[in-house]
Amino acid sequence: MVPVDRRMLFTDRRRALLGVLGVAVALVMALALEGIFAGSTGQVSRYVETSPADVFVSQQGVRTIHMSISVLSADTADRVGELPGVEWVEPILFASDAVAGPEGRRATYVFGYQPGGLGGPRTIIEGGEPGPGELVADDSAATALGITVGDEVEILGRPWRVSGLTTGMTSIVNTTVYVRFDDLTQVLGRGDSVSYLLVGTAGDSQAVAEQIEAAVPGVEAQTRPLFSAEERSLVREMSTDLMNIMSVAALIVATAVIGLVLYATILARLRDIGIMKALGLTPRAMTRLVLTQAGWTVATALLLAVAITYALGSVVTAVAPDIDLVVEPASLARAGIAAAVVGAIGAIAPLRRVLKIDPATVFRRPT
Amino acid sequence: MNVAGSVPVARRMLFGDRRRLAVSLLGVGGAIGLVLLLQGLWSGQLTQITAYEDNSGADLFVAQPGTESVLSDASVVPLAAVGEIAGLTGVEQVNPVHLHYTVFDLHGRKEFVLLVGSEPRGLGGPWKLAVGREATAAEEVVLDRILAYQHGLSPGDELGVAGATLTVVGLSERTRSWMTSLVFVTSETAARLSGSTMASYLLVTTPTPDETGAAITSATGLDTLTPATLAANDRQVLAEIMEGPVMLMIGIAFAAATLVVALTVYSGVVERLREYGIVKAIGARRRRVWRIITGQTLTLTLAGSALGYLMYLGGTWIVGRIRPQFWFSLKTSHLVVVAAAVLAMSVLAAALPVRRLGRLDPASVCRGW
Repeated sequence: MVPVDRRMLFTDRRRALLGVLGVAVALVMALALEGIFAGSTGQVSRYVETSPADVFVSQQGVRTIHMSISVLSADTADRVGELPGVEWVEPILFASDAVAGPEGRRATYVFGYQPGGLGGPRTIIEGGEPGPGELVADDSAATALGITVGDEVEILGRPWRVSGLTTGMTSIVNTTVYVRFDDLTQVLGRGDSVSYLLVGTAGDSQAVAEQIEAAVPGVEAQTRPLFSAEERSLVREMSTDLMNIMSVAALIVATAVIGLVLYATILARLRDIGIMKALGLTPRAMTRLVLTQAGWTVATALLLAVAITYALGSVVTAVAPDIDLVVEPASLARAGIAAAVVGAIGAIAPLRRVLKIDPATVFRRPT
Repeated sequence: MNVAGSVPVARRMLFGDRRRLAVSLLGVGGAIGLVLLLQGLWSGQLTQITAYEDNSGADLFVAQPGTESVLSDASVVPLAAVGEIAGLTGVEQVNPVHLHYTVFDLHGRKEFVLLVGSEPRGLGGPWKLAVGREATAAEEVVLDRILAYQHGLSPGDELGVAGATLTVVGLSERTRSWMTSLVFVTSETAARLSGSTMASYLLVTTPTPDETGAAITSATGLDTLTPATLAANDRQVLAEIMEGPVMLMIGIAFAAATLVVALTVYSGVVERLREYGIVKAIGARRRRVWRIITGQTLTLTLAGSALGYLMYLGGTWIVGRIRPQFWFSLKTSHLVVVAAAVLAMSVLAAALPVRRLGRLDPASVCRGW
């Protein structure tokens, strides 16, 4: 058996490469866009996912940290702490602002916690926990803003000394700083309230969360996985419409390129196809020929697109460390399905051309 | 004999196969349309982000010292400053306003919201009402019209937010910011929902912003910013977040368009090798061949770009119907930049076909006549 479809497609390697590259680049658009949003989704939920808390308690109706306002009375911690299954309770304060350094400003989350407690940075890679008037910043933001341990920065209208650096808490949107609970209470003027309660539990965390909601009025209690999922869904719901618009446009481009590749290949081999038709090639076989070529183009382009996207992710991370480009299996699956669909659609025009070939005409002397 | 000078070779090569030309134009047009869509969306976002500052009605925003941006900074000012400022020469009106970004959970979907708490009939409330009236009492709310439409809400409906029940009394127009809707309540409601009794900003009207601003700072120690300054700072904050990914997408889209043009012209060259060989054999020099090729790439990119612009207009119309929260805005400067990039693209796309023809031996194409 002669692999006619593959030979027709790849005989002219330059043209094949241009075509596969064109489709691959269109697929890279969709993959890269999804990858950036997937990376942002992961970054947004990092505080929650790296927290030792099993349950997060917030004001009723508030199910996230990002861009949320949660206010709990200070005695809520005592009431939660008395419930069975609760091992420890850690109150935290939360605010949003911008941290200013010598080389710029970055939007930031500000967490107020008890030093030595469980609401602060998971690791400190340089320096130490904050004392009065001090904060711990993220190393990535510190580098971007020209900050080192011992420097002074401004947040919430007052100066703070950088006592230490943590890592992994800066995203494309913002960074995170940690200050003492008492300092943030004073700055925010929140003498008798907290933002969230971090709760450690023994046994079934979901059961404890439900118990908290039943026993303490006016609160939401969510397990860490659920709370994290809520944070992730924020970014997803914010980006879904935008991504759909961009993905559709990218797939239109991919469809056109596939059509172009196949059409050019068919035109270049009209004579050969005419001979095959004269020798008995059926319409069904011709359809299979064209669709197989579409499949080869799409499959090769998809593999190339994945490779380019991974490479792009490495380059982006090196150039802009705050941008995380994550290629998820679901994203690859979607790209594969979309590529298969556009491959089929792109094959329509060349298929019509092939089916209309009159074998006799291809034997005429070319003019 | 100068055949090359009197026969439009480039045009005939390009238009010889109309089907292939149509598919190529679709590919180039799609990629350019995508570039324009991305740029238009980005510009629209930069316009949307400053919706509040641009329409608040204030000449000055009085803010916590060090505040530069509504988007990234949490300004807090004492309400006692209102009385101090009201008595200064040049101050016509001063009202406190609460601004808090927050998330509403509506019908199982998360909506980013800029919660605006203002005094009834004071500065900083909704600047245009489509339906109903302003919030004048506690637990009343005016929603952005698009947000209300997406959730099937209208005046008279109630919604639960952070443990409180708010009654919709009006729908506002053109009150969208970056990825968020503006929601207007009274100062009292905003204070209860945010847990803070202090204002975010004091809005001031004055015929002499510079002098009045200096007087306010001197009297209270607070910073004063014009809406234009705040808006510029907000755009910069947004640009620092999003500009990288947007430019990356635009770059990829241009790469796709360049490849489509290159593929079209290269395919045409390969199919017409005999004709090009004849043209070379009768005296067309390298420069003339280059002009034939770039003539094709230029025609394709210009025609594709025109189609791309039409696709952009069509795309924005469709998106405007199904997702009205997205704004698109293209300036002349953007079109100039895109046009320059398109020209560069046409030159780049010509490289491979020109190289192919440069190595073509005219004698070889005449074999087998």
